[in-house]
Amino acid sequence: MTIDEILDMLYGTLHTTGIFNFQWNVIIMWGIGCLFIYLAIAKKFEPLLLLPIGFGIFIVNFPLVPLMGFSHGHPQLLQVFYRYGLQWEVIPCIIFLGLGAMTDFGPLIANPKTLLIGAGAQLGVFITFTGTVLVGFTLKEAASVSIIGGADGPTTIYLTQHLAPQLLGANALAAYSYMALVPLIQPPIMRLMTNAKERKIRMRQLRPVSKQEKILFPLVTVGIIALLVPSVIPLMGMFMLGNLMKESGVVARLTDSAQGSLMNIVTIFLGISVGATMQADKFLSWKPLFIFSLGLVDFAVCTIGGIVTVKIMNLFLKEKINPLIGSAGVSAVPMAARVSQVEGLKYDRTNHLLMHAVGPNLAGVIGSAAAAGMFIAMFD
Amino acid sequence: MKRYLSAFIVLLLAFPVCSGAEEFLEAPVISGVHGFVKTDSRLEMKTQLSHDEVVSFYRRALKDFENIKFRDWKDATYIEDDGKMPWHSITISKGEGQETSIIIVKDNWTWIIGTLILRYIGVFMVLMVLFLGMSISGRVISGFVKRIEGRKETVTV
Repeated sequence: MTIDEILDMLYGTLHTTGIFNFQWNVIIMWGIGCLFIYLAIAKKFEPLLLLPIGFGIFIVNFPLVPLMGFSHGHPQLLQVFYRYGLQWEVIPCIIFLGLGAMTDFGPLIANPKTLLIGAGAQLGVFITFTGTVLVGFTLKEAASVSIIGGADGPTTIYLTQHLAPQLLGANALAAYSYMALVPLIQPPIMRLMTNAKERKIRMRQLRPVSKQEKILFPLVTVGIIALLVPSVIPLMGMFMLGNLMKESGVVARLTDSAQGSLMNIVTIFLGISVGATMQADKFLSWKPLFIFSLGLVDFAVCTIGGIVTVKIMNLFLKEKINPLIGSAGVSAVPMAARVSQVEGLKYDRTNHLLMHAVGPNLAGVIGSAAAAGMFIAMFD
Repeated sequence: MKRYLSAFIVLLLAFPVCSGAEEFLEAPVISGVHGFVKTDSRLEMKTQLSHDEVVSFYRRALKDFENIKFRDWKDATYIEDDGKMPWHSITISKGEGQETSIIIVKDNWTWIIGTLILRYIGVFMVLMVLFLGMSISGRVISGFVKRIEGRKETVTV
């Protein structure tokens, strides 16, 4: 064997390694991936999602890794997760099934007027749409970016996958990041939008809700949504199925699976698939930067929208609503409701707003799904 | 030979439709149209071609563009651009008369803002209907439950 042959072999072997195919832009993506892993582990920011997303970003940005491509026509590992989980819009719907099985709609049923707060809090979604178009996004991209303000991860993923799949990674990451930052973003806005007297408003204790009402709620809701916004029924239908399973009390095993193991399994696939979509050559552009900044504005305007809606409602109501629960109209369940409780306690240590804030919080989930349905109907 | 001949005839027939196509805001305009009403943001015109012929012309002309959708309405076919074209919509009437009218409208903020406001109101309407549904069903069930509990108490006494 000659030296040339040995060198050729060595050269051929080197060609199959990642080192030889290295590109500098992947270093930025490693940094982004590690940042989200750090935020998940050290800061506990939405760790269930940011950890697998961060790892997905990290691992998929190594050269030649057989993860998101095709080998001999067959999809590779993460490509399979992505295709059948996200592209087919399965995972967000299964997550909604689990969420439904975890949710107690009692506070919303006891005080149904808080539904309007969930609608008012979608203000940012529609305002950000305009700003996003102005920046140069297409209408479909603008719709998918603007839904971030609804602070509902599965809905954001569902809509983005439907309208602008190329923005999936950035949108999902922005949505979950801002959901984790709710305790930092919302309180200054809440203080700015309310006065001391309003923050001390006491609300009457919620009435007890019968089991029959709780069983009927998912059926009424799914019927109304199916009639008015049919395009979002895959999400809302699964949400209400999960809730019906929980409230019926006759399928405890199914409820346990939906809110436990099934939810955990799909969360792993969701996180790593979303992270895997963020490959350097597709992700590194001006768009993610705009998505993150517009997402923040979106979130802030949605919070304002919820608070303003309460103030408008108070003009007509005998029993006033504490506007601090308006901010919970963005979904981010249950973080946004907890923020209302904490802020309320700062001004009156005996005024517990948590259960009152859960109503608009759940209404926000339905409201953001309705807004997503409006966008899907607009483009389909 | 027959195949080539028929292809040639089809081409020949299609020629007046496809050739010399002008543009309004980068939207193709069929040649041989008349009855123009033109402003900076809107072009109205009429043609002797049937509705189906006009639609097939636009399907061919716009086949390479993304974000274009054709909506088949009761009295018109509505072509809409969701991308970045300078025009927003082309409406092709399904009138019963001999002429087909075509209206091309410039992409405009009025449409975007209008549709956003409507959809925001739409979200309110959905939740308002849900509110009404919940209030009514809540009252009915609460009354029903109270009545049953009242009966139980009477029986116990």
